[in-house]
Amino acid sequence: MSCNDKGFEVINKNDWMRKLENIHIQRTDMNKLIMNYLVTEGFKEAAEKFQQESGIDPSINLNTMDDRIKIRDEIQSGRIEEAILLVNKLYPDLLDNDRHLYFHLQQLQLIELIRQSKVEEALRFAQERLSEAGETNPSILNELERTLALLAFEEPMKSPFSDLLNQTHRQKIASELNAAILKMEQVESPVPKLFNLMKIILWAQDELDKKKVKYPHMTDIGTATIEMPK
Amino acid sequence: MMILNCPLMVSVSNSYYKLSEAFLGISTFTLLYSMLLILKLIEIWLQDVESSRSFMDDIYSVETEKCLSALIQLKNSVIGSNKQKGNAIQQGVIPRLTQLLGDYEQPIDIRNETVIILGSLAKGTEDHIKELIKSDIVPLLLNCILSAEDNKFSENCLRCICSVFKSPSAPVHLIFQDQSIIAHLLSLIMYSISNQISITVILSTSIKTQKHQTMMWDEGAVFSLAALLSSHHTAVLMPTLSCLATLCHKNKPVAASVATASFGGKSVPDLLVTLMSRDKPTEMQLASAKCITYLYRADALSAEDPKILYKTLPILVYLCQDIYPWQERVEAAETLAYLTEVNVELQRLASISNHLITVLTTFVNYKGDSSLPIVKSEEIRKELVQAAFRVFASLGSNDEDIRKKIIESENLVHHIVNALDDSSTKVKLAAIRCLHSLSRSVQQLRTTFHDHSVWKPLMRLLENASDDILTVTSSTLCNLLLEFSPSKEPIVEAGAVDLLCNLTRRTDSALRLNGIWALMNMAFQAEQKIKTLILNNLGIDHIFRLLNDTEVNVVMKTLGLLRNLLCTKPHIDYIMNLHGSEIIKGVTMILDANHSSEVKEQALCILANIGDGDTAKDFIMNNDDILKKLQEYMTHHNVKLQVAAIFCISNLVWKEESGSTERQAKLKELGVVRLLQQLYVTNNTTLFDKVKTAMTQFSDP
Repeated sequence: MSCNDKGFEVINKNDWMRKLENIHIQRTDMNKLIMNYLVTEGFKEAAEKFQQESGIDPSINLNTMDDRIKIRDEIQSGRIEEAILLVNKLYPDLLDNDRHLYFHLQQLQLIELIRQSKVEEALRFAQERLSEAGETNPSILNELERTLALLAFEEPMKSPFSDLLNQTHRQKIASELNAAILKMEQVESPVPKLFNLMKIILWAQDELDKKKVKYPHMTDIGTATIEMPK
Repeated sequence: MMILNCPLMVSVSNSYYKLSEAFLGISTFTLLYSMLLILKLIEIWLQDVESSRSFMDDIYSVETEKCLSALIQLKNSVIGSNKQKGNAIQQGVIPRLTQLLGDYEQPIDIRNETVIILGSLAKGTEDHIKELIKSDIVPLLLNCILSAEDNKFSENCLRCICSVFKSPSAPVHLIFQDQSIIAHLLSLIMYSISNQISITVILSTSIKTQKHQTMMWDEGAVFSLAALLSSHHTAVLMPTLSCLATLCHKNKPVAASVATASFGGKSVPDLLVTLMSRDKPTEMQLASAKCITYLYRADALSAEDPKILYKTLPILVYLCQDIYPWQERVEAAETLAYLTEVNVELQRLASISNHLITVLTTFVNYKGDSSLPIVKSEEIRKELVQAAFRVFASLGSNDEDIRKKIIESENLVHHIVNALDDSSTKVKLAAIRCLHSLSRSVQQLRTTFHDHSVWKPLMRLLENASDDILTVTSSTLCNLLLEFSPSKEPIVEAGAVDLLCNLTRRTDSALRLNGIWALMNMAFQAEQKIKTLILNNLGIDHIFRLLNDTEVNVVMKTLGLLRNLLCTKPHIDYIMNLHGSEIIKGVTMILDANHSSEVKEQALCILANIGDGDTAKDFIMNNDDILKKLQEYMTHHNVKLQVAAIFCISNLVWKEESGSTERQAKLKELGVVRLLQQLYVTNNTTLFDKVKTAMTQFSDP
């Protein structure tokens, strides 16, 4: 790219496309990225089909995807105890190693009891299983207080702590657990690599824009449309 | 049940709350309600003891189904909760669990659940692990692994051992009781990622001796570890690197084979360099740099290797910066100290890299972190300080310019002197090492060391300290006693002679050497008062013992001490008058024994000094044996010995001194002049000069 007094030279779209065509991308690299996306996002059947058709190794045991999906479902539908039993069956180390995560699951279990207005059970559960966690960690104690405070309201949904009863709170804990399991399975990143690649394209375009370079932009990531800027 | 609807906020505080107290914070309205709840809790608790009893009973059941389901309940109860682990142990489950685990007749499901429960108990508190160790869980697990047919089962057993080995009281030596255990562990390593992690952790925590290293090497551990270096998982790489480092630490044959081993066409050192790249986590860079350092110190890599000059050293220097966690900074500095300890080029390179000395000064000036408890802050300070001192000691051990740069760092000497009184031995030792290294500088001895009265705390340390502290302290004191050091006089006045003489009586040869060496330095050009003090304190008998020491350096320095004592005419005559015959006996003994020429040269120099006295001369002139020996050494094949012998002759026949005519006549009669004439043809200029000097004495006036 040559430079003159007025700044950078404008590159026209044809030159740009020609340059892009000269870059060779391996098909297996593409397939790997797609497999990584399917596996990380939990599209198990698609991943199996793709494995058959492309011959790409999914890098993790696809059966464990079933487990992850099942665990996530249990949590999102409020069956926390079942989820914990499943986690202990499949990954017996996980909750011993990550006590904070274990607390979050138990907290969720407590919230479910409160949601069902099972006050006695909630108290018993808190006393038996949760008090221990609060004794060692002040930040946990804080979260515990917020949760137990729900008991003091006749309509917990109208209380200042109603956020704990939202579906989004279940989802938050479900993702926390999913990420921990993926880490356990030695998957390097719980985020699909394709996602990072997209981010890099957007970042690079942004950097070029900041330097006021005129070049054809990818204006729509979904369709990979490339256009000259107006 | 009635519930009050009160829109009040809970007071959120960090202070310690019991659960029931959390309610008190809400409002007084709920107080009554809370009390009802507490009563309810007690009721629930009583019921609960009953309900938990049932599954605890069932683990003793002989019915497989019943037992298995009880075990699963127990597992779900203990996972994640130290309280439940403690309860279970208190109720005596361990004997039942170890029994089930060791019972080969039990279905694998039962044994698997059992080892998982034991593994969970091992992730509890230190006390929980101790209970497991007391029940001999490690030998049991090792037996299970050796006889296991189910890979998943041995994987669980390995994980359990791995958790137990995190405890300092774990019987890690059991791994090495039998070569077959290591062979078996290494054969399991490739089965799963979990095994890779467990086995490398187990091995790296258990290697303690050279024998262990060799046992591992014999079983081909190097190749398994080389293969694991290509793993993509940090969780595998970290224990692999630490295992590799422990394996080649101070072990030349193992290090040599590690340096030449390869995997996938890349040598281990090259694989280590890839793990040092900037995109890797810093702890991984550090662990790899440590491996390379150990390889180099065990002679498997050279100091000029680009992997050291352009990769390992810069990374270690870089990781000392305060943007990194303190543990990493300490480890980076300690590794750097070890890397540069014996090579002056590496010392120079490190000292000019990335403001290292300034960065290390921040270690020494660490003020503590107000967000941490004082005890913790103090622990961090000690670790940082000793790490910095160790680097300074290494960097300053050879180069005067580097020493100067170190000494000029703000407040450093002050900190070192303070650290000599630190309660931690680690800090104390590092400070003395640093001081020892810096005391090799003539200029520092004359200035900074004297200004700070460094000798005072050092003398205190000599009085009661462990052997390793004594060794470094006494060699530092040796340097402070050199004649140009202004500290020499106050040290002697403070009673050093006594302390040093005591050192020469120790069983540790390094301490004897430092003691006699310091005395030798002290006696150099000293007043008669000091010399007498040394002689009286040591005693002629002990000097004899030192002349017979098994350590040749001790013999050398003892002779050196005698030389320094026998200096200047009045001192020579005074000392010879007191101990003449014993000293001559000692010298004769050295000359007769099978010693190297360096030792014999020292003995001949003592004779030359004696020959420089007035009355002392007679001790040689009246001893035909010594005179005969002198003549023999005049024609010895070693020029240095010839020079020393002839020097003694010149002193004896020096013509201005009284009685010289008689002595000349006697030596002429013995054939000394003829020998000298024969030596005139020598090509060696030093020898020629000596011969000429001696001959001029003989020539007639």
